[in-house]
Amino acid sequence: MPGWNWTEDRGREVFLEQGMYGKMTKYLIGGIKRGLGLHRPGRSLIILPDDVFLVSFPKSGNTWTRFLVANLIYPEQPATFANIHRLIPDPSSTSKRDFNRMPRPRIIKSHECFDPRYRRVIYIVRDPRDVVLSQYHYHRKLMKIGDESPIEAFATRFLAGETCPHGSWGQNVVTWLGTSEKDPHFLLLRYEDMVADTARELAKIVRFLGISASPEQIVHAVERSSVGRMRKLEEAQTDQCELTKGSRKDLSFVRAAGSGGWRSELPAPLAGRIEAAWGPLMRHLGYELSSQSPSEAREVESLGILSSTPQ
Amino acid sequence: MIKRLIAGGKLFLGLHAPGRNLTVFPDDVFLVSYPKSGNTWTRFLIANLVYREKNPDFSNINDLLPDPETMSKRDLERAARPRVLKSHQYFDPRYRKVIYIVRDPRDVVVSEYYFDIKRRAIAEDCPLQQFVSRFVRGELNHPYGTWGEHVATWFYTRRGDPRFLLVKYEALQSQVMNEMGRIASFMGISAGPERLTFAIEQSSAHRMRELEKKQAHLWSSTRETRKDKPFVRSAKSGVWKTELPEASVSEIESAWGGLMREMGYELAVSSLVHAGMELDRG
Repeated sequence: MPGWNWTEDRGREVFLEQGMYGKMTKYLIGGIKRGLGLHRPGRSLIILPDDVFLVSFPKSGNTWTRFLVANLIYPEQPATFANIHRLIPDPSSTSKRDFNRMPRPRIIKSHECFDPRYRRVIYIVRDPRDVVLSQYHYHRKLMKIGDESPIEAFATRFLAGETCPHGSWGQNVVTWLGTSEKDPHFLLLRYEDMVADTARELAKIVRFLGISASPEQIVHAVERSSVGRMRKLEEAQTDQCELTKGSRKDLSFVRAAGSGGWRSELPAPLAGRIEAAWGPLMRHLGYELSSQSPSEAREVESLGILSSTPQ
Repeated sequence: MIKRLIAGGKLFLGLHAPGRNLTVFPDDVFLVSYPKSGNTWTRFLIANLVYREKNPDFSNINDLLPDPETMSKRDLERAARPRVLKSHQYFDPRYRKVIYIVRDPRDVVVSEYYFDIKRRAIAEDCPLQQFVSRFVRGELNHPYGTWGEHVATWFYTRRGDPRFLLVKYEALQSQVMNEMGRIASFMGISAGPERLTFAIEQSSAHRMRELEKKQAHLWSSTRETRKDKPFVRSAKSGVWKTELPEASVSEIESAWGGLMREMGYELAVSSLVHAGMELDRG
């Protein structure tokens, strides 16, 4: 079962490879970093009551939304791949010192499942049939899988929640919807709606944050976060960003940047498996199913949004 | 400053309690519940089933079924495998094999109320109705979210999964033999009726009360709490019917009516049966 607790496994492997002295050196460097506040807080981040979290399952448009929000609230400082981790920080890649120096309220990126400490949450959801493709290509770029690795095998692990440490797509989404959907401090956005009308969806974020922005300012932020501009920035800054550092240069991070790619790219049986696993939840979110049997339709009525865990 | 140095030293030596940052092993079994839902009782039941020869009591229960909130990282990593861990955490995708205990929130709040008086978290004259409001809003002094958030995150993500066993506290009360059989087979333990009966008797409310009298000072959850109030209290279900004001019952039911009905807890305030419908998110 590769991947499901990969952070721990990787830590143990490093420990075994490096032996006693390697471990001591690592501890010392870690301790000095900690003393200077250069370590990344990760889950130990101290959360402030006015923090806003920008949450999504990985590969659901989080980076694009970070650019949109950053370009809106910090117009004097255009967002790039080199500064985004300071503008919209990420507990797993931004240092504790940068966190402490940020203006408040902070807007923080996260891929975590439900966390009761997050008081104000913008949750971005994306059609899982597109998410699986995006994650598959990203894992190739990161060289976690080879080009010869079939999408079918990846999809199996994707369904089981073994491709990232944040649960499966269904688990991540349902922990937030099942607890917070009716909470006024929770804003649900669909990636597909953001693609269709970016300015309209960004205006929702503006209202949710309680800030004021003119239509011109919104349009300006949208233009500064366009696919074309983000692609150019990625080419120039690929090694200055945690998301792309050390990854393959022949594959890009900013990829299709569209919705519905699964219709042509994802083999139909895989779309079917995803729909069988999370059908009710997908329909609740307005994602039309390509294969719908009458029995599934009944299930939707009796179970609401919530499907069983895929096996 | 000194506090930080001590904390840093502890971190270095692995003497800190990892809590949610626990390192999870693939063969771990987790005994998960919201606080005051029968976790300690079930810990005793399982300890007496699995580690019978160790004579489980309050002095060694933390070693037998370790608690990442109180045990040190070092002790947790040295514990015999497979570990059976106690947890009050809301959904964690790293937990594979999970026994989840759910209890009627109307009883949970009464139990939490008396426990918080015992551990001096609230004053003895704190009105119960006010406490219920804080319980519903998730404003208690523990970091595990509300009852509804806790149950929803585990149930909606894991139901139907063969590595997830849902146990109702009320069923554990009324059909303990049957429920213990389910727990044993879930854990892959073949135990005959004799062994199950032994574990159940060793974990009876009466025996746990006697142990608590002698060992309250030996256990993390009772050590620094009031000795005039017991930890093992009524050990019954349905006490809310006599203890909770009607307004409190209706406050709980309007917050979590849909989820409660899904768990099989009948709603008392009949008008809410209809209000609960909208919680089904059809």
